[in-house]
Amino acid sequence: MKKSTAVTLLVFFLLIPAALYLGLQLPGRSYYLTATLIILEILVPFFLAFEGRRPQARELVVVAVLCAIAIASRVALPLPHFKPTIAVIMLAGIAFGTETGFMVGAITALVSNFFVGQGAFTPWQMMAYGAAGLAAGFFAQKGWLPRKPWALALFGFFAVMLWVGPLLDVCSLFLTPIQINRQTVTAIFTSGLVVNVVQASGAAATMLLLGRPLLEKLERIQIKYGMLSGGAH
Amino acid sequence: MAHFQIRNLSFTYPTAKGKESLRNVELTIERGEYVVLCGKSGSGKTTLLRHLKPMLTPYGQRWGEVLFNGVPLQSLSRRDQAAKIGYVMQDPDDQIVTDKVWHELAFGLESLGCEQKTMRARVAEMACYFGIQDWFHRDVANLSGGQKQLLNLASIMAMQPEVLILDEPTSQLDPIAASDFLNTVRKINIELGTTVIITEHRLEDIFPYADRAIVMDGGAVVADDTPRNIGKLLHQQQSEMFAAMPASVRAFYGAGGEGECPLTVREGRNWLSAAFPTAPQHSEMIAPALPEVKAPALSLRELWFRYEKDAPDVLRGVSADVPQGSIYAIVGGNGAGKSTTLKAVCGICRPYRGKVKVFGKNVEKYKSGELFGGCLAMLPQDPKSLFVKKTVREELQEMSRDGEKIAAVARLCEIEPLLDSHPYDLSGGEQQRSALAKVLLTEPKLLLLDEPTKGIDSFFKEKLADILCKLKAQGVTVVMVSHDVEFCARYADAVSMFFDGQILTTDTPRRFFGGNSFYTTAAARMSRHVFSMAVTAEDVVELYRKNRGEAQ
Amino acid sequence: MNDAFSKCHPLVNFLFFVGAIVCGAILQHPAYVAVGTVCGAVYYVLLRRSKAVKPMALMLLLALVMTAVNPVFNTRGEHVLFHLLGRPYTQEALVYGAALSGVLLTMLLWLGCYNAVLTGDKFTALFGSILPAISLLLVMVLRMVPNLMRKTRQIVGARRCVGKGTMEDAPTGEKLRGGVTVLSAMTSWALEGSIVTADSMRSRGYGATRRSSFMIYRMTGTDALVLTVMVLLLAVVITAVCLGQAAVAFLPHLTAAPVSWGVCAYGAYLLLPAVLHGKEALQWRISRSGI
Repeated sequence: MKKSTAVTLLVFFLLIPAALYLGLQLPGRSYYLTATLIILEILVPFFLAFEGRRPQARELVVVAVLCAIAIASRVALPLPHFKPTIAVIMLAGIAFGTETGFMVGAITALVSNFFVGQGAFTPWQMMAYGAAGLAAGFFAQKGWLPRKPWALALFGFFAVMLWVGPLLDVCSLFLTPIQINRQTVTAIFTSGLVVNVVQASGAAATMLLLGRPLLEKLERIQIKYGMLSGGAH
Repeated sequence: MAHFQIRNLSFTYPTAKGKESLRNVELTIERGEYVVLCGKSGSGKTTLLRHLKPMLTPYGQRWGEVLFNGVPLQSLSRRDQAAKIGYVMQDPDDQIVTDKVWHELAFGLESLGCEQKTMRARVAEMACYFGIQDWFHRDVANLSGGQKQLLNLASIMAMQPEVLILDEPTSQLDPIAASDFLNTVRKINIELGTTVIITEHRLEDIFPYADRAIVMDGGAVVADDTPRNIGKLLHQQQSEMFAAMPASVRAFYGAGGEGECPLTVREGRNWLSAAFPTAPQHSEMIAPALPEVKAPALSLRELWFRYEKDAPDVLRGVSADVPQGSIYAIVGGNGAGKSTTLKAVCGICRPYRGKVKVFGKNVEKYKSGELFGGCLAMLPQDPKSLFVKKTVREELQEMSRDGEKIAAVARLCEIEPLLDSHPYDLSGGEQQRSALAKVLLTEPKLLLLDEPTKGIDSFFKEKLADILCKLKAQGVTVVMVSHDVEFCARYADAVSMFFDGQILTTDTPRRFFGGNSFYTTAAARMSRHVFSMAVTAEDVVELYRKNRGEAQ
Repeated sequence: MNDAFSKCHPLVNFLFFVGAIVCGAILQHPAYVAVGTVCGAVYYVLLRRSKAVKPMALMLLLALVMTAVNPVFNTRGEHVLFHLLGRPYTQEALVYGAALSGVLLTMLLWLGCYNAVLTGDKFTALFGSILPAISLLLVMVLRMVPNLMRKTRQIVGARRCVGKGTMEDAPTGEKLRGGVTVLSAMTSWALEGSIVTADSMRSRGYGATRRSSFMIYRMTGTDALVLTVMVLLLAVVITAVCLGQAAVAFLPHLTAAPVSWGVCAYGAYLLLPAVLHGKEALQWRISRSGI
């Protein structure tokens, strides 16, 4: 843990200010680049911490299978804009805690783009999804998020409306080749709002219907794995 | 020194309420031996195998010990036990970890922290030995089941283990891929001297080559001898396991044979040649011709289908008529389009030409809900694709609210004791019957089965056959697609050969398999030089006894 | 696809694209933007051949629209072309819009090339030795996704055949409920399967010692040469940028640094993959005609 704490400190007190300074020095408009650099610097300590834990086969498989479920879930629903991906990520966080939630989110974003093609938004998506998983895990750990369908649905809705959606909107704002002023910011956020509402309702509906069954299944697996681990030593 | 020495091993699962899964197992396995472990499902085979690999040993109460090369197995380092004891599991898919063939081959070596140079040499070696060069760079997602299982084996052999343990490795494969796989295992045993311990349903392909067969029942070893003696012993004990023996063994003892029992088709032929030096008096089983089909339950006319616009046609003019109230089997090679035909009947695939009529009415004309509610239903190849709930009872309740109906179906499928279990905690055969129960709750008049005997052992096959016969008696028409020629020969009323996207011939099983010389049952291959139309071990026994003037 | 640059070591590929995309995002000087777009388009066409036409047409359309839209939101600039809804529509804002759109176009083109060249397995191979656990995780997810998609389709088909499918014209609520049931079944199947996967990993020694990583890609002499040339050219470009060769201001009036050797170095850097591609095609033709 000490190593990753050191890395975190290094990131916050050295690398992020350095990125900001660099961003100011760059010619032209470099919001996108600076912000992306900062995002990458935030992601790295999480990855290093995971790496440093030397995850067991079980842990690795659980994270992998949750990511795969989150990505493949879009095939299951015959509705175009309803993507259960974010809901699966948040449920992973609730069941397995903050770190797993973050990993599942970040890796899901990265790998799903292997299939549809990487874009300039990949690191942003990793950050948005990862943080959503982390937050769900955090709220569940603190006991602020009861495992009731409606509570899960509300959480899912607001997580997308207040965090995932806006963060991705900022990314598209930075990428859109247009002067950034009050008008354009309003235009981008308004156009993003419709998509966000649809996404958030999708996440909420999935949480409502899938939340409890999925958490039960995850519990069952935790018990089964526990038994397996007992046999190993 | 023995390779494995199991001393008085007993084991109880924590959830088993004191019921022992292994009872005082006492076993010695020598270096380089090829040992086959048989027994009904639930007899403790897998539990025993898992005790030979510490990483996979289940949690629970244990007495006794296992010695590996004379030292307790538990004292082996993780590295040593990973490298020295190879373990191949049943499911070809879930065992694979990485997305590329080359990476999977290297996975074990990476885990052992091998040097780059060593890894390159070993991976190249394995790819050549197993004939993987041509698909070395492929994605594992694009491999066939047989290739996947071969890859699992190769990936383990790359670590150069001393022992190879295989737990029903071919249960998910078609017969051709299965015998390829088993031949490879045999080659490894002979050419490299690797000790092999294997459990299998398909004893036909292993029994002749195994050094030793061990029979388990209720967690205890009940027999441990050469395969030839095991056949005799099981016959004497009138064991249920006898039904799983190769056809030649069953025919030999069924006919009251004395002396050395034949294990292969060749030995079986020689035995019959010696028994009947001249042509026997009764040489033919009664085999009536297939009656004309009037008012078919299912009729296919000239179906043409391809999956993608530019892909080759999978169905190339399939035509068939299935008589009502019969069991109709479609056999044929892998990828010939058999399963696609069933999908076309169900409307999962839409043929671009041709007609499908169910009970005389075009399927397109059925209203939604009408077709799959009380008329047509299909049991998918993998029963897991039907499970959505936490218990078998809830699965059945998803289909029907009628408690009596559920109870009746559960009785028919013999799953009453399993109703409160989680579907994933059941064995392959139990899962199969639970899924079948679910399908039967739609009360189909036409039931389609896709590879119903895949992955289930001979006891469950008989149970399945019982259920199918009962359904037939109730007037249900059953159409099944299968690789299992023995099963079709015994239970089907009509058999069709599927080849090259069409149905080529259709006949009664006796005429069909009696006329074929390669694509037929072991009993037919063994007896066709003296008898005709004898396609099951029972047929051979019947003719044998008739000629000897013995009553049945 | 037979492309010489795609056959280079993943590290060479990766560093090249980082250079190309970062430069493309930073440099707004019209000359640099033009060079970036043209070189990106050339390599994009070489990689995707006839399949390049449609996406490129779409990208171009997007860029043109964004160019035209920019002056609507931005009224600064000295030369007023005309008035739109009472607001000035200026030439400088139009040029600025064109430059910004060019930047976006460059990034899109190079990202497109990146996706064609740096496939998933190259990406994981690249990080295999630095981040072994994460890289293995990526590989496992890549393995599981197609598997789960197949299983999902199987479940959908199986449910249809017992009368539990959802019709295409079903109301949204029913579709959603049906979809969630399928998803839930797929989850069970995947989770139970993952126990086997974990067993399979442990029985092959995962976690026994520190993992090594099998390198399917090897750094060859050509790779080293290409890498050296790349680094040198990039150093020249950075120097040029630091010397102010890429300085530009659009508003209120256009002031751009004169075109100089920096642009040539930038162009040379970006043309590297295309040059390698052409060189190989030429050599192949010569060696064939030699026979």
